[in-house]
Amino acid sequence: MNFMSNINLTANPAVKPMVVDGLSKSYGSGANAVKVLENLNLQVNSGEFICIVGPSGAGKTTLLRCLSGLLPPTSGEVRVGTEKVSEPLAEIGLVFQDYRGSLMPWMRAGENVAFPLQGKGVPKAERHRRAAQCLADVGMPGVEDRYPWELSGGMQQRVAIARALAYDAHILLMDEPFGSLDAQTRFDLEDLILDLRRRLGISIIVVTHDIDEAVYLADRVVVLSGHPATVIDTVSIELGPDRDQIATKSLPLFAEYRSRILNQIRKLPA
Amino acid sequence: MENRMFPIFDRGLSLLRQIWLPALLVVAWWVLSAGSKSFYFPPLSEILGALWHDLVDGPLAYYLAVSLANLAMGLAIAIVLGVGFGLLIGEVGVLRDVTSPTLNFFRAVPPAAIVPIVIIALGVGAAPKVFIIALGCFWPILLNTIDGVRGTAPAVRETARAYRIPSHLVIFRVALPAAMPQIMAGIRVALAVALVLMVISEFFGADSGVGFYITEASTRFATKQAWAGTILVGILGYVLSAAFLVFERRVLAWYFQDVKRLRRPTATTGRKG
Repeated sequence: MNFMSNINLTANPAVKPMVVDGLSKSYGSGANAVKVLENLNLQVNSGEFICIVGPSGAGKTTLLRCLSGLLPPTSGEVRVGTEKVSEPLAEIGLVFQDYRGSLMPWMRAGENVAFPLQGKGVPKAERHRRAAQCLADVGMPGVEDRYPWELSGGMQQRVAIARALAYDAHILLMDEPFGSLDAQTRFDLEDLILDLRRRLGISIIVVTHDIDEAVYLADRVVVLSGHPATVIDTVSIELGPDRDQIATKSLPLFAEYRSRILNQIRKLPA
Repeated sequence: MENRMFPIFDRGLSLLRQIWLPALLVVAWWVLSAGSKSFYFPPLSEILGALWHDLVDGPLAYYLAVSLANLAMGLAIAIVLGVGFGLLIGEVGVLRDVTSPTLNFFRAVPPAAIVPIVIIALGVGAAPKVFIIALGCFWPILLNTIDGVRGTAPAVRETARAYRIPSHLVIFRVALPAAMPQIMAGIRVALAVALVLMVISEFFGADSGVGFYITEASTRFATKQAWAGTILVGILGYVLSAAFLVFERRVLAWYFQDVKRLRRPTATTGRKG
């Protein structure tokens, strides 16, 4: 899978950068307000792979929901290109941790993938074609007629990824996407999204609490910590565009990144 | 005991397990009532004889068709209106808050209580009977639909929002199927209500129908016929609910499979940040 060496070969000019500008988020109001995110700034370049790590309860999911437009920020803003994100955008595809709940159990895999296209007004034949193609792209050709309950957890998550691809998302936001999968399935899916990024030139933002996963996947790891959460470090991962589950993870540089990030997360009281 | 060589024996055995009690009751009734001289409790053999005679040579088959037509019509109206308004009220939060107390009052009124006044208001004929059945069936279907729509999994809602699904698609392809198990449960309740109202509505101002057959026989002191009508209604109720069960299994195939899968324990990680 990891054979291409130059990311720029497949850079997609349609993919716009995402800018997070002074983003803060509080829940509740007045004296009871709980501040979750404090003045976050981040730029996600076109085609970049960003992982956001932080301890449990650091507001990672809240951040992702703000980025996706599902949750309005209390102050600051998120922009894609020049457009302010105040509601979900057509450019953003979301993949949840809870694949079991996010796929519609009454729809077959193909219908699940094609459903957002129906909302866009894409004709039926074209929807079917795109769904079949995107399922093949995530390594599951020919499962269109299967129901989610007929598929394993990893396969369901692949369907969810295919749905984001069919939607033609340029920015993929993933919330702990592989958190509930077994190790082998997890590695396969990690390599799948690395490969998709390489082939399609899309930007991917993954929220995870798994530091190994973050270092393995990302161009940059954003470390979030504190109450309210702020960006305490941004680590550029210079491991090259080609990653390998065994070779990359045994590099000394990999271990260095991992301990640097781990130290930062542990330094602060949870 | 599983018999691998002859699966048909297993099926036969399971059928036998279910059927012995009803069979025993029928036989007991038959034997105990045989030669009965009681005016109110004629022998079962004579009741069944009357039932057969009136079905084949009498008006009962026609009455049955009339009653079933009313039931089907009333239930169909209730399903269309109950599911329709249920989706609307379930989706629109404001509407839910405004209508909730009113709905709970109407639900509390026993539908049978309204029969006489409706007959007076709408007169004889099929219309008042259909109206009564529709009215009685409307509430369980409406309330179950509202509950079902409100109970749609949050992850499914979020997904629909994230992928900018327009509201008409959300209603028909997300909220409606998500509520379908609840809607089906509502229709199952409504079916039982419909059967009761079908009979009661024909007690007043009717000139045909199974309910009319029973009351008319009673006023003539034709106890055999009254019993025959009662047994017919019982059989009808059983057949309808069994048929509905098959229908429900088919419509909700995805749901029963999904539930089976979710009950299986799976490894999940703890809470997320």
